[in-house]
Amino acid sequence: MNWVLLWKAVLIFTLSAYSILVVIVLFGGIKNLKEMLDDLSSGNKEK
Amino acid sequence: MDVFATNFKTIDWIIVCVYICIPVVIGIVVRKYITQLSDFIVAGRSLRLFIAIATMTGTELGLVTVMYNSELGFLHGYSAFHVAVIEAVCIFAIGITGFIVYKLRELKVMTIPEFYEKRFGRRTRIVGGTILALGGILNMGLFLQAGARFMRGITGYADPAGLKIYMSVMLVMVLIYTVFGGMVSVVINDFLQFIVLSFGMIIGCYFIIDKIGWTTLFEIPSSADAAAWLNPLAENSGFGPIYVIFMVVLSLSAGALWQSGTLRALSAKSPRVAKQLYAWSSVSYMARRVIPMFWGIAAFVFVSQIPELVQAFQGPDAVNSQYGMPIFIAKVIPSGFLGILAAGMFAAFMSTHDSYLLSWSSVITQDIIAPMKKEDLTDKKRLLITRICIICIGIFLLIWGLWFEAPVSLWNYMAVTGTIYLAGAFTVVVAGLYWKKASSTGAMIALLAGLLAILGIGPWTKGDDVAWYLSDKFIGAMTFVIAFIGMVAGSYKFPDRNKEEKS
Repeated sequence: MNWVLLWKAVLIFTLSAYSILVVIVLFGGIKNLKEMLDDLSSGNKEK
Repeated sequence: MDVFATNFKTIDWIIVCVYICIPVVIGIVVRKYITQLSDFIVAGRSLRLFIAIATMTGTELGLVTVMYNSELGFLHGYSAFHVAVIEAVCIFAIGITGFIVYKLRELKVMTIPEFYEKRFGRRTRIVGGTILALGGILNMGLFLQAGARFMRGITGYADPAGLKIYMSVMLVMVLIYTVFGGMVSVVINDFLQFIVLSFGMIIGCYFIIDKIGWTTLFEIPSSADAAAWLNPLAENSGFGPIYVIFMVVLSLSAGALWQSGTLRALSAKSPRVAKQLYAWSSVSYMARRVIPMFWGIAAFVFVSQIPELVQAFQGPDAVNSQYGMPIFIAKVIPSGFLGILAAGMFAAFMSTHDSYLLSWSSVITQDIIAPMKKEDLTDKKRLLITRICIICIGIFLLIWGLWFEAPVSLWNYMAVTGTIYLAGAFTVVVAGLYWKKASSTGAMIALLAGLLAILGIGPWTKGDDVAWYLSDKFIGAMTFVIAFIGMVAGSYKFPDRNKEEKS
């Protein structure tokens, strides 16, 4: 088994996938944050 | 080269100081949103997918996570990556199947012991809550110490008293805003921290690859064992088959049931969002391990090239291996960016601390104190008790962090202390959700069996020639096995005759 190749692939996959996730969460999170604060201030929350 | 030489300058201090004021201000501002206990603990169960991913990552990617993973990379090389792969696969599997988390969210519990009561009765809840709080608080016992080591290493504060100073200041900061804000401030700060730290970590990798060189990073250092550096199953890797099995069970159980992470699933808008949260978060769980491990590996490669640093990390008076990564990045990352990275790490420290403090203090309030009281506690009283618990745990962290030195690596300490709770909890929750014959006596035996894991942080686990049956990994793995046997045997031998008796 080529361990170097495996760990290189793991590192490259992690850095690429995580970079994409961060961008998605950045934009989606801002929207979600506004909605959460609206919910809390209006009392529209599940208990 | 001086061991504590650093690129950290005045501008970096200014960046850190400005940045760390933000969470405190947020904590105070969002107080108006806290009107009831569920707002404080589970943010009114109003978390949607992306903010839930950010806050889950913010919690599970703390400074201590960066420290223990970089130490694993520094000590074991690329073979440490197997822990990251195992964890990511387990988290993804939970996300795809909804294993445990979907049903727990459906039941609308706020803590895991609350489920114990619903399924096995009040006594199980109190015992389970006590073990959870004990394991959890012991588990975070070295967070403060590790965080202070990072800050000391990165700022180049060579004076030994620096550790105590950093620990005290950092603790006061985190206590202030956790006590005021609760889960809502935690969520907002986690989001902020997720963004800053994620960008910081990715850009940090660029600087490291640029400094050391991609090819050099994958060459095995002359001072390392070639097979052990790459293969986790190799004899001298410090891991081996038992360790790998232990990691699989631990990752699956911690992924589904570690209170601070599960709290995010329980705070999710719906059971479906809780499930999706895990599938998406498998990427960030992988990153929280792979990136710091990579930094630790790069630190070892860097240290092995400089004789003064090699000497500093060897011998009886050697610098603790946890300093490897911060001392390294303090030398290779330029001033300015180093300040942003330190600020991001400090925010990571705060976000993990607040979540854990909130988790364990809410467990003490909800699952130990409240069930023991005959009269019902009001939300106001529960909030007060939770806040008092946060301060008491903070004081414990300071004392424990000042005198206790882990006999094993920081991650192994975390794994074993986590097992105190997880071995019993995993068995009890899985049996409670998926096995009709599970009884309260079986649950009690399984929970108490988890206490055996304490043996895994005893002084006999220290050193290179520890007998296999005394090693922390064997004790950890066996604790899961004993808890499982206890649950099955106890349930068959002492079945619940009358379900009514439990409540």
